[in-house]
Formats: sequence, structure tokens, C-alpha cells
Amino acid sequence: MGRIALLYRLILRPLFRQPGRALVILFAVALGDAAVVAIDLAGDAAAGSFHSSMETLAGKDDFEVTAAGGLPEAIVGQIARLPYALGVSPRIEDHAMVVANGETVPLIGVDVVAEANNAGTIIKDATAAQGIEHINDPDAVWVTSGLGKAIGDRIQLLINDHAREYVVRGLIPDSAQMGTDAILMDIGAAQLATGKSGRVDRILIKAPDSGNFETWQSKLQQALPKGVLNAQGAETAANRRMLAAFRWNLRMLSGIALLVGAFLIYNAVSVSVVRRRADIGTMRALGAGRGAVMGAFLLEAALFGTVGSLAALPLGRMLAAGAVGMLSTTVNALYVSSRPGAMTISAGSVVLALVAGIGVAVGSALAPAREASRVPPTEAMARGRREFEVRVERKRDAAIALVLAVLGTLAALGPPIGGKPLLGYLSALLFVASTALLAPLVVYRATSAGSIWLRRLLGVEALLASRSLGGSLRRTAVLVAALATAIAMMTSVGIMVGSFRQTVLTWLDSELPADLYLAPSGAMGGDLHPTIAPEVADRIAATPGVESVSRLRAYEIQYQGLPASLAGASQGRQAPRQSLTFLSRRPSADILRELAAGDNAVVSEPFAYKHHVRAGETITLPLGEQRVTFKVIDIFYDYGHEAGYIVLNWDTLRRYLPNSAPTNLAVYLTPGADSRRTRAEIQKAIANQSLMMLSNGEIRQQAIRVFDQTFAITYAVEAISILVAIGGVAGALISIVMDRRREFGVLRYLGGTSVQIRKLILFEAGLIGILANILGVVLGYVLSLVLVYVINKQSFGWTIQFHWPVAVLLGSLSLVYVATVLAGLFPARLAVRLDPMEVVHEE
Amino acid sequence: MRNKLFALLLLTATYATAQDYKIAQPGYTFAFPQDYFNHEDYQTEWWYYTGNVKAADGHRFGFELTFFRQGVSRAESSRPWFVRDLWMAHIALSDVTGGRFYSEERLNRSGPGVAGVDAQTGLVWNGNWQAHIAGRGEELRGVADKFDLALQLTPVKRPVVQGQNGVSQKAEGAGHASHYFSLTRLSTTGSIALDGKTYQVEGTSWIDHEFFTGSMAANETGWDWLSVQLADGTELMLYRLRHKDGSIDPYSSGSYVDANGKSQFLSFRDFQMTPAPDNWTSPSTRAAYPIRWHVSIPRLNMELDITTPLKSQELAGRFGTSYWEGAIDVAGARDQSPLRGVGYLEMTGYAEPGKPIIPR
Repeated sequence: MGRIALLYRLILRPLFRQPGRALVILFAVALGDAAVVAIDLAGDAAAGSFHSSMETLAGKDDFEVTAAGGLPEAIVGQIARLPYALGVSPRIEDHAMVVANGETVPLIGVDVVAEANNAGTIIKDATAAQGIEHINDPDAVWVTSGLGKAIGDRIQLLINDHAREYVVRGLIPDSAQMGTDAILMDIGAAQLATGKSGRVDRILIKAPDSGNFETWQSKLQQALPKGVLNAQGAETAANRRMLAAFRWNLRMLSGIALLVGAFLIYNAVSVSVVRRRADIGTMRALGAGRGAVMGAFLLEAALFGTVGSLAALPLGRMLAAGAVGMLSTTVNALYVSSRPGAMTISAGSVVLALVAGIGVAVGSALAPAREASRVPPTEAMARGRREFEVRVERKRDAAIALVLAVLGTLAALGPPIGGKPLLGYLSALLFVASTALLAPLVVYRATSAGSIWLRRLLGVEALLASRSLGGSLRRTAVLVAALATAIAMMTSVGIMVGSFRQTVLTWLDSELPADLYLAPSGAMGGDLHPTIAPEVADRIAATPGVESVSRLRAYEIQYQGLPASLAGASQGRQAPRQSLTFLSRRPSADILRELAAGDNAVVSEPFAYKHHVRAGETITLPLGEQRVTFKVIDIFYDYGHEAGYIVLNWDTLRRYLPNSAPTNLAVYLTPGADSRRTRAEIQKAIANQSLMMLSNGEIRQQAIRVFDQTFAITYAVEAISILVAIGGVAGALISIVMDRRREFGVLRYLGGTSVQIRKLILFEAGLIGILANILGVVLGYVLSLVLVYVINKQSFGWTIQFHWPVAVLLGSLSLVYVATVLAGLFPARLAVRLDPMEVVHEE
Repeated sequence: MRNKLFALLLLTATYATAQDYKIAQPGYTFAFPQDYFNHEDYQTEWWYYTGNVKAADGHRFGFELTFFRQGVSRAESSRPWFVRDLWMAHIALSDVTGGRFYSEERLNRSGPGVAGVDAQTGLVWNGNWQAHIAGRGEELRGVADKFDLALQLTPVKRPVVQGQNGVSQKAEGAGHASHYFSLTRLSTTGSIALDGKTYQVEGTSWIDHEFFTGSMAANETGWDWLSVQLADGTELMLYRLRHKDGSIDPYSSGSYVDANGKSQFLSFRDFQMTPAPDNWTSPSTRAAYPIRWHVSIPRLNMELDITTPLKSQELAGRFGTSYWEGAIDVAGARDQSPLRGVGYLEMTGYAEPGKPIIPR
């Protein structure tokens, strides 16, 4: 018997006859795979380059000299005079907001004079025209062509808390190549504009071509203060490391959509195997080998996988377009300021889609295909054997499920591997598998126990529906398991995010004790720390009705190759009110007093977790040209910044980094002061500054809004999984209807009305929905524990208080339930349309 | 007279105008060591080092290290990045024996110690190129891409003030002049590192220091300048300024320093510098330089032939125009007795002004 004939009879003919089944599989592969592709593409675009915006306009240098808070500028002269043929490019690096469109772009200050020495660089080419001519002009800027300005145009820029007009003196070509727009100034003008007198943020060094990298590294290390020399791109590398965990978790999340898809493919292929038993038997009887049969089914799966994957690419690209905005919000809020780059379907994404799609399709078809190959030629004509098998094996499956659940529990207790919660994900996977194996037993028990009640409550159609579910476990159990997995995922992520949200709300209550908060208006980002002119803070403190002003100065630093924020905080004049909650539960007033006493620091929980720092230990930071060792006296809860915070006393920080401009102000009003009038007074005092003033309530709302934006992407991925599952239910119901044409025909023949048939199908859908909901919520609860206490903790280090977001859960569960029932409408219509006479005669 | 006046004028900045500075006028009295250092009241100033040295194995080098200051603004500012002066520098090494020529140029602002002049420490520097002016002599250091040099220069004679009455006139009219002094003979020792090899060298150097405000006259297109150190312990400096029409400006002049260090002003009528017709054409700028000269000074009974051991000694400028400046050999006679010597020759205004990095 020829393989072509085999393929034709087993695969192609059924495909043409029953395109619905093929569509279900394609749908499952395409949508699940699309979610994976979308997350990958959007992740790449949102944070993909991981390039620190600060590295904009940097050439291919070898080294960079940086330190928290910048370096004293005298070091530039020292490096320039070292007896080595080095290229030296000092830089001021900050951000500016283009007032006209609200876009925040990197602001880079370079020595325009010295850049003339660097032939062939973007900066030299751009500034050659008018660089020296405008060398002492504090208004001269060079802008990337992407900002749409011409030479001589004026451009309003908000830098820190001060907006003013600058004049475009030249254009920088190739902004696309740099990945971002940027503003370039001479270093002198940039120091003035950013208030960074006496300091430079970074010095790029190009080593001579002769000698190797290590030789130059050690020569330079000897000549420079300790700890300030890095290989170029250290910041990008640090960003990449930091975002790696985030992207990894996101990928896992998108993997769940694929997993749900896998269930559906498994279901669809299983159904098709059952339906084609007769054909398989015939083929076997005609001499087809087992391997050939199995091969045919696997080939079919691979084919579906390929077609589905190819469909997933444009679909994923479409989904990614929606996801990229949400993702970049998250990246900006939690990590680094970046603007989404262009999305391109690369060879990598095609490979990813094909591997994931074909892999899942073939993997899911493996078991049904093997089963098909085992169909003995003689038994081929007998129906129902498989159903018997499932019924027999459901107890064994339940036993395996128990073992898997135990293994899952053990995995959840394990430590992170390589900083990643691998065991946590394994645990989640084991619980999902356990639930899937438990599904047949649950469906069987539930339907056999519930039949009587169903009949009494809902009539004979419900009884039939229930019996039919229990009777064809093979199809229904997988369907229930798939939907339950999707629901569990929704539930668990819902619980996790809800718990997180509640935890943050509680934390905000203690974190935000002041009446008013001020910060420069403009970009908000985890790594942006625009400053407020010091005299403005003094002016506010002197406003009638103001009791005291607390200042916070934050810097973006690197600690052990990862980004972190360093802050100095001052207390108001009065005794400090509660403002931080510490792990030790000691009163914050005591700790803050101790903090002021010397080189002490407190660090945030994510920082402590990431760097394995415990209270009582020390951390050493490069501050300016010095390296200072601080004793960590306690760890505080913080949910605002994933990279982590190191907080010093205001005066301690000032001792090492003398810039006295704060980044944030917290204003306490005199008890009994008229808050509206005081606020108006402060508004007057800051009239010329671009500052944002928020009341306690407003800043709380804003924090929660940022939080919700941050988690928007998780909801989006979940929605895709649910969509996959519901679509799968609809498809599966269609195939069930087609499969049971005869049954419906007989029912109609026996006097069943079309209304009854519709009811029957809708009841089946409803039952599937209820069972999946129950299983899903239970599994979701277990998964949420894994997410909150294992995966979140190991990835980010946050302590989250467990909390049931009842309203959200009830809402989304009902939505899914309704959607499942609605998914039964179309198959029901199909069933009703069947002509009973024709159907009965068919067989 | 030296050098890249023309190039420096391209750096003319918009802030300062010549009115903010003093012009070089007759009657200036030089005082040392103060006059070795900065004259911020004048817009343009340069420190100029050239020399011919040899290693023990006979390997011959010529070197040039120059520091230029161009005033940009006279505004007071405490901010180090504020540009009051631009600093340009050139370094060049003529590997005469090896037949190679290396040159680099550099532009900086004073910045936080990046370039400048400091009477306290005795330093004139631009990055890691520096001259340390101390009581006993001067120490030069320069780190270039292809070579390093570290030389100790010890003056044999006192500084010679060039020109007349403290001013070296370059053309008719006020402002076309400079204050100009030279150290005409410094015995030189030190090391030159090239291609992974370090040569211990000895020889003689020449220092020029000039400061002024203003420019060449409009009809002047370039000049030919040379310094000669003769084996009999005397030195010669001559320059001629060329007009567009090919004529020579009557303010061309020079000086002769006898073995005791006494100098004698040579006016336009006292000497002739005649280029030989065989030019060397630069492959990079296509400029044709007369690299063979005859010098005749009837007043001193001197007839000298100027040749170069290395034709390719052009500094192709990125910041300004290109010029030829290199080591020369001198042979001739005074009162019929033979004379030998070495020196440096500078020729400007032969290359088409390239596209300078800094616009006019």
C-alpha cells in the first residue's frame, strides 16, 4: 500500500470533508503561537535594544569612566594629560523634554572643541558647521533630524525644572540609526542647563590600537580612582541583565497561551483519531504498518504546525503592535527610560514561531498518533473502545496527578536556579499537568453524581448533556482541562496582581505621610531623576502654612553590574513621621535617626534580594571619585522601583556628592493650616518653575495608575489565552456536533425538538464551563501561591501580602462562563439544522 | 615670523574682536622669565619648538612641537568649560634616516586642565603634549599615535628679540606686527620612541615665541621662513613674505646671531632667498613646494645652499591650511671658508586652502 494513498485516505480526504477540525487546530496553533511571537516582538521593541539612552551618540570607544553623581571635572584634564595616546570624550548626560510634543529625549553635552579631533564621528560631522562659532553660546543645540527642526529654528526644552528656548545650530543625521532622537549641546552649555557645574557624567576613552584591551585596562586603572573605569557599554549590559528576568517571565506568560493551545491540538487530533478509527483499521487491514500510520498523523500535525505558525507571524505582529505600548509603559515605569523601537519580523522570530508552533503541534499529536498506530486491523470497525479505555484509566491518571501535585509542591520549595525561578515554573507546569490528568475523573464523577440533580432542576436535556459529557470523556476531559488551565492562569495572575495591588495600596498609606509632593514635571521614569533648583525648595519651606519640607535627591547608579537608584533623604524640621516600613519592624524614626549618624544606609527589599544584602552587612559604592563603604542598617519595603533603592541621609550623600538640588520634595503643612490657600501660595512661589505639585490623594492615585498600566500587559496575554481556550471550546463543540450527527438525528427522529437539541448543546457547553471554572479556580489558587511566593519573590524580591481580589475574579469568571456558553451557540445551530432523515440514512 | 597665522585666523571666533586685545607696537620691553609665558592681552600667541637630533647609531630625526593660543573671548568666567582661548597644537617627527614623516594636530579649549599655560608650574600644554619651562632649560614631552618624544633642551645663548625696537613688523601699518623672541641654540638630549624602538638622541633645537593681535596684510599670500644653526656656533633666521603678484614684501627680514649671542637685524635689502625651480609636489594636497633654496647675504659675505634630506615633510592640516615644515641641511661659505649647518624651513601659502573644519 502506497504512502501517498495512505496519506490521502487518512489525512487529506478527512481534511476536505471536515475542514472544521483543521480550522480548530490551525486556530489553536496560530493564536497560541501568535501570543509567543507577539510577546517576543513587543519585548524586543519595547526594551529590545536595552540601550541605555545615555549611550546615545557614543562612538566605538573602549572604556568609560563613570561614578554615581558624576566625576569632578578636573579628572578630564588628568586623563587628557596621561602619557598615552588616548581619545578622551567627556560628557554631560541628562534628559530634556521637547515642550512642543512632550517627548523626552537624551540630552548629551560634549566638548565640541575637542570633538573636532575625532574625524568621522557623528558629533564632529554635526557640529563642524557651527560648533566653534557658537562655542560660548548657552542656547546653542544640535538636534537629530527626527525632531523635525531646521537650522536656526527655536526649540523649547524642559530640562530639570526649567523650561526655556534654545536655538538649533545644526542637525545630527541618522537618528534612526541611533535608535532615538537626541539633543546635543556643548559641555559648557550642558553643565549650565542641567545644573551640574564642576562635574561630568561620563568620560569615554578610546585606547590606542596597539596593545591589548587588558593591558590598557590595567594601565588606566592605575591612573584613575578605584572603581570608576568600565568597559564601554556597561550600562547597556546592566540594563540587559536587569530586564532579562522581566522578559523571561513575560515569555513564560506567553508560553501559557501556547500550552492552552497544546491542549486544544491534543483534543482535536484525539477526536480525529477516534473518528478515523474505521479508516485506520481499513488501512491497517490493507497492509499499512504501524509506523506509517503514526507517521501520517505526525506529518499532519507538522503540516498544521507549519501553516499555523506562518499564520501566527502576521497575527503576532498585529498583537505585538498593541502590546508594545503596554510593555514600554512597564519598562519605563519599572526599569529604564526607553522609547519603543521599530518592530521587525526577523529570521529569529520566524524560527521561534516555527519551532514553537510545529513543536507544540507535533508534541500534542504524539500521544493520539501513537494510539492511532495501535489500532489493530480487526478492531478497526468496532466503535467505542477508546471510551472504555479512558474510563478504565481515569483512576490511574488520578494517581499520577497526585504524584505530580506532590512533585509540584516540592519544586515550589526549591531555590532559584541561576537567579531565575526555574523550579517555580516547573512547579506550575506540574500542577497544570496534574489538573489535566485529574480532569477525566472529575468530569466523570461530577456528571454521574450530578445527573439526577440536573434532571430535576433543568430537565431531560440537562441529563442528556451530563451523560454525554461523562460518556465521551476522551473529548470532554481534555476540553475541560484546556479551559481550566486558561481560567487558572487568569485566576492566578488575577490573584497575584490583586494581591500586589493591595500590598502597594497598604504600603502607599505608610509611604506617603506628607501633604504635598513636588517633582519636576516632564518625564516620569524609573531611572530619570530631574532636579529642582535648591532655592525653590527654600522658597517653599518659607511659605506661610508650611511646617517643613523633606528633600530627596536620587541618582542612577550601578551596583555589582546592575542598575540601582541611590537617594539621600532629609527629614522635615519636626520629628519625622512614619515614612518607611522596615523588615525588622523597628519604628522608622529610630532607624532614620541611626541613618543620620554616619556612613549608614537602608536598602529596599528588591535591592537586598538581588544583591544578597542583609541588615548589618556593608555595601561599597563609587561616589564621585571616591569609594565609600556604608553599613546597611535595615531593609525597607518598596514596590516602586524594581532595580532597588539605596537610601542615605541627605547630609551623608551631600558629603560625597555636593550637588544640593533635590529631585523630590515632600511638604508638610502646619496642623490647622488652610491647605487650599497654602497650596496656592506655594504655586505662586514656584510660578517660574516647571514643577508638578500633587496632593497626597493625587499622588496615591497616580501611583496606582502607574501600577495598573504596568500590569496591563499581563492582562493582555491572559486575554489571549482565554480567547484561545474559548475559541477552542467552540471548535471542539463543533467537532463534537459533527461527530454525533447520528445521535442528534436519532434524537430528532424520536421526537426531540430543535429547541431541545439546542438546549442540549448549550447545557453541554455550560457544564464544560462550570467544571472548567471549578477546576480552574482551584488550580489558579495553587498557581497564585506559586506566583506570589516563589516566582515573584525569586524574580523580583518583592514581599506580597496574599489577597483575594473577589470582585475582579467573579467578574472575569462570569465573563468566561458566559463566553463558553455563547461558544456553544453556533454548534447548536449546526445541530438543529441537521436533517434527521438524511442523518439516520447516512450510516 | 612663524607659521600658521593663516590657519589660526580661520579659528577667528565671533565673540572677541581685535579691539578687545592689544596690538604689537614698537617700544615693547621683554622681561624674562615672565615673557616665556602667557600674554592674554594679545589675541594670538605661539610657542614653537623645532630641532635636529641624532641617535648614537647615526639615526637622524627632525622634530616639531608647537602650541598655539587663539583668544576667543575676554569675558570673565569661573566656569572652566567657558572658552576664553582655543588651543591648537602640532607635533611632527621626521624620521630622516627611515625616510618617513609623522604629524598630528590637536585642538582643545583650556577646559579643566586640558590645555593652557601656567607660569606657576612653568607648563605650556595641550593634553599630553607639553613644554616644561624651568630655570635651567625646557623639557618637551609628546605622546603621538605613532611615536613618543621626551627631550631636555638647554639654552646655550640668551633669548634674542627679533625685529626692531621690540616689534617684528610683517607689513605696512599698525597691527601687522608681532612681539617675537627666539632661543636660537639649545643643546638637546632625550629619547624618541618609534615603532617599538627607543632612540637616545642628541642635537640642537630652536625655540620661537611670538604674540600679537591682527593679521597679515590683505595682499600677502604666504611666507617662507627658515632657521639655520651653523657649525661655527652662529645662527640665522630669515623670512620673506610673498605678495599675490609674486613680489616680496619689503617688511621681510631676519637676524644673525654671532657665537657670543649678539644679534644683528637683517632687513629686506640685506639678503636674498631664491627658490630653485625643482619643486616637490605633495601627493595629498597637490601643492608644489620649492624645497631647494639659495640664500645670499652680501652684508655678512655669506652664500648658503639649503636642501632637505626628506622631501615629504608637509603637515596636511584639518583645522586650517596645509604647510611644509621640515628639517634642512645647509652648506655654503662665509668669506670663502666653508660653512655647514642644519635648520628648519617653513613654507606656507602653497597649498589651496583645504576645507577647514572650522569655518571662516
